[in-house]
Amino acid sequence: MKKKVYFVLAFVLAIFLLAGPATAKEIKVLSQFPMSGPVGSLPEFGWGYIDGMNWVNNEGGGVNGKKITWFLEDFRYNPTVEVANFTRYCAEHSKDELLMATGYITGGLKPLIEKVNKEEKIPWLDGSYSTEIFGEKGGPSKYPYYYSLGATYGNQIRALIKWIKENHKAKGKPRVGFVYSPTAWGRDGTPEGIAYARKLGFDVVAEIEYPYTATSATNECMTLRKKKAQYVIFHGYSGASACTAIFFKTAKKIVKNIQLMGTHYTTSRFAILTSQEAYNGYVGVATRPFSDPIPRASYPKDNAMVKLAHDFAQKYRPDEYKKGLRGGIKDIFLYIEGLTYAFMIQKTLTDADNMGELTREGVKKALDNMVWDFKGMFGGKKFSYKSHTIPMLQIFKGKVKMVKMGDKMVPTGGVLPITDWINTDEVKW
Amino acid sequence: MIDLIQTLGSGILVGLVYALLGLCIVIIFKASEAFNFAIGEFLILGSFLFYVLFFNESLPWHRALPLGVLIFLFFSYVLFFDIDLNFLIAVPLGIAAGLLIFCFLFFGLKLPSLITSPLIRFMIALPLGLLAAGIVGSMVERLTIKPLLGRSPISMTIVSLGLGFFLRGCIQLIWGSHSYSFFLDLPDITIEIGDLLYLSDPIWAGILSLLTFGLVIVFLFRTRWGLAIRATSEDQSKAMAFGINARFILMIVWAISALCIAVAGIMISNFGALQVGMSYVGLRAIPVVLIGGMDSIGGALVGGIIVGICEALAGSYIEPMGLVGFKEVAPYLLLLIVLFIRPYGLFGTVRIERV
Amino acid sequence: MLAIENLRVVYHDVISVLNGISLEVKEGEILIIIGANGAGKTTLLRSVAGMIDFYDGDIIEGDIKMEGSSIKGLDAADIMKRYGLTYVMEDRPVFWYLTIEENLGAASFSRWDKHVKTDMEEVYEYFAVLRSLRNKRAGYASGGEQQMLAIGMALMTKPKILLLDEPSLGLAPLITEELFSIIKKLNESGITIVLVEQNANAALNIGIRGYVIETGRIVLDGKAGELLENEDVREFYLGSGEKERKSYMDAKRYKRRKRWL
Repeated sequence: MKKKVYFVLAFVLAIFLLAGPATAKEIKVLSQFPMSGPVGSLPEFGWGYIDGMNWVNNEGGGVNGKKITWFLEDFRYNPTVEVANFTRYCAEHSKDELLMATGYITGGLKPLIEKVNKEEKIPWLDGSYSTEIFGEKGGPSKYPYYYSLGATYGNQIRALIKWIKENHKAKGKPRVGFVYSPTAWGRDGTPEGIAYARKLGFDVVAEIEYPYTATSATNECMTLRKKKAQYVIFHGYSGASACTAIFFKTAKKIVKNIQLMGTHYTTSRFAILTSQEAYNGYVGVATRPFSDPIPRASYPKDNAMVKLAHDFAQKYRPDEYKKGLRGGIKDIFLYIEGLTYAFMIQKTLTDADNMGELTREGVKKALDNMVWDFKGMFGGKKFSYKSHTIPMLQIFKGKVKMVKMGDKMVPTGGVLPITDWINTDEVKW
Repeated sequence: MIDLIQTLGSGILVGLVYALLGLCIVIIFKASEAFNFAIGEFLILGSFLFYVLFFNESLPWHRALPLGVLIFLFFSYVLFFDIDLNFLIAVPLGIAAGLLIFCFLFFGLKLPSLITSPLIRFMIALPLGLLAAGIVGSMVERLTIKPLLGRSPISMTIVSLGLGFFLRGCIQLIWGSHSYSFFLDLPDITIEIGDLLYLSDPIWAGILSLLTFGLVIVFLFRTRWGLAIRATSEDQSKAMAFGINARFILMIVWAISALCIAVAGIMISNFGALQVGMSYVGLRAIPVVLIGGMDSIGGALVGGIIVGICEALAGSYIEPMGLVGFKEVAPYLLLLIVLFIRPYGLFGTVRIERV
Repeated sequence: MLAIENLRVVYHDVISVLNGISLEVKEGEILIIIGANGAGKTTLLRSVAGMIDFYDGDIIEGDIKMEGSSIKGLDAADIMKRYGLTYVMEDRPVFWYLTIEENLGAASFSRWDKHVKTDMEEVYEYFAVLRSLRNKRAGYASGGEQQMLAIGMALMTKPKILLLDEPSLGLAPLITEELFSIIKKLNESGITIVLVEQNANAALNIGIRGYVIETGRIVLDGKAGELLENEDVREFYLGSGEKERKSYMDAKRYKRRKRWL
């Protein structure tokens, strides 16, 4: 009995000791990235975020001199973990201190939406390009605390279709096939794209669900061949996954003169490495500048943000930068993504502080009023956050050349922009 | 009509690869009555081993060295205990094998610089890759399955489940989880007659799978080792009593199985890319063996072709009707029907009952 | 030739089956081991043949010596290859799904050479009935044919010493007789035979020496003829002892456990 009392006393004392020093109000931010899990290991997110945050706190001046207390969690591509982490941090930290939270990809989760927008009312920076949340049917009125860091998939596909309309040279109506993954993000945006294509008078010849688990794309490509598709919009896949390479290679062989097109995640460095020659001529849309060609040294130096990211990576992660595919930074895009979050957080919090309202509501107001060029990421163009997305996108074209290096044939090249940055808020669809 | 021929043809070509996967399950099932759930991981592992040899991939020393040491330990063990060599011969041979593997992994095989013709390079790299896959298969058997000899087959099945996760983890550690571009540059034998089109890669996959299948059958039914394997498959204790080293035979069975899976894996990877996540292909073997019969080698062939055709038909006739994703389910649906009619599968053994 | 010294075997670490058994097999003889069910006969043969591991048993004490060198802990295949010791398991150990010819082939796996074909002919000489069935699956052969096949398979391994575990199990008396005459013939051709039997009468008639095992111990040994005459053996294993007994006090310990064939 006595022992129990001692224990309780010790426990209470410990809590007091722990809670004692924490009197000053801190600025806290929670970030979550899928750094491991079924899709593979993507530590670049974390590296970028850590380097970015350290820079912000030390050299970058913090929030007008105040330092940001940041938390980084790996949610392992598991929505349950993401929600659980978020709930835990919300319970552990007071509403005055935890001012922002960020998440990635699984943002469209129902329990999370409720929690963010109704219970916690915390500004949430989301990595998903969900059309459902940020498109016409969702938007700021429905999800007031959700902010996306890129144009929605619906807008990305519409931009591609608009590009087809402007560049279609053959006779007759353009014949478009849609290939998308049977996942939440594969199905997201495709209906909007199809509707838009029909509105522009295209022939939508095929809608094919091509699973991630596919090991052969012969059936899908034969369907496209039968229907005489001229354009394929390939949506919902990472350029890094094997199924992308399988589809691209097979399609190039089976369907003659097909124009392969894709959305943000398919426009990547990895697709060049795995799809190789089949990637040549690919037209895709991306919401960030393409930053990492092969070889890496020839990255576009005219883009301030890309240059900054390469400088950061070389400065803070020289080993990983050099290692590249062998366990280092596989694609600078991922690193930039981490940096983007860090800079975004600094900018938002500074704006809120300047307004004198360093609260969740103040942060929301700062985001709503933000007009920024994002350190020159979009070629000097500024964007506003009124649709709760960064509405910028650009259309790129893949250029791949196989080069003999030593005794191996290796792909070189990258993706080059073929349009200027498009602000989807300003486009009349 | 042309449509149907096209569909059936491509179904059969893929089906032959599935048949090979089925065969790998069947021979292990016959030998130890256990279902090898790690088949997908073996598939990826075999493909990666081939990849290393064919594309001159090399590993950093901290990944090559442990593998070399593992090979050394394994070889010395097998040479000393199973083949009964003298300790002084077995250990140096083991060291030699380990060193060789380490050199291969660390420096690469340099095949591409030595031989320019991709076909010849393929013909050299394939046996080497398969040999490596076979060694890994037997190594895995030694470490995980052998201690369970004589125990319930269920425990082996469960061990193979865990083994799958372990192997996947190892592959991710060694080669990472991103995808690798895979192109064999085999001679182009695309068949194109009017609307009919068969790509070169699936045809090669079909041919090589069938060839491997045939070789395994010849090995099992025409050689004394095959006879010993069949005898051991029937009853381990009887085989042991008649001087067949059942433990060694079981190891050989696993090696053959791993080797065939590697062929299937290489052929599947050749459709485009290789990635650790592709291990779920191995699960296609489940409807194959259950339709064909768990212990029938001919059944694996028929089951594989049935599953391939079923997938192709579902993909090109049923899916366009709006049932998206039906292709993945169709083999299992068929499996259900088959099991209703013949619970042992189409060619499952009818137990010998003496009257 | 084969000597077993104070052998103790336990199954699953707890079930003690052999409790210190010692016996000796001399070259060229037919040794009969008789005993009731559960006496440990089969376990004894398994231990000698190196298969006890497979059944999760352990030799915890004692030694098995073949021509002076210990074979304890060796693998079954090793024992067969090095010492020519072949164990024919009980209940007709043939491979049901292989043909009879394949069965013989499988049995000759450990010593595959050019003489396999001629050896097969030799087996067919001994067991003429097998020749006509050579391409039939062994599972469809009758019990007697299977037992003959099993012994034929054992012959394919070129044994010097043959351990037979209840070859007469479940066979008609006529076939048993034929079988035993073949066993005798084999012995005459120079193979030492250890025969474990419950059919004591038939076995002791062809045997030279015999042992009686009860609960993992040797309780009686002697010349086969003597054993046949022994009253206890007659009563408990042959079922033809004198009906009247003066007192149960006279019965030996092993007698109290009445077990009949």
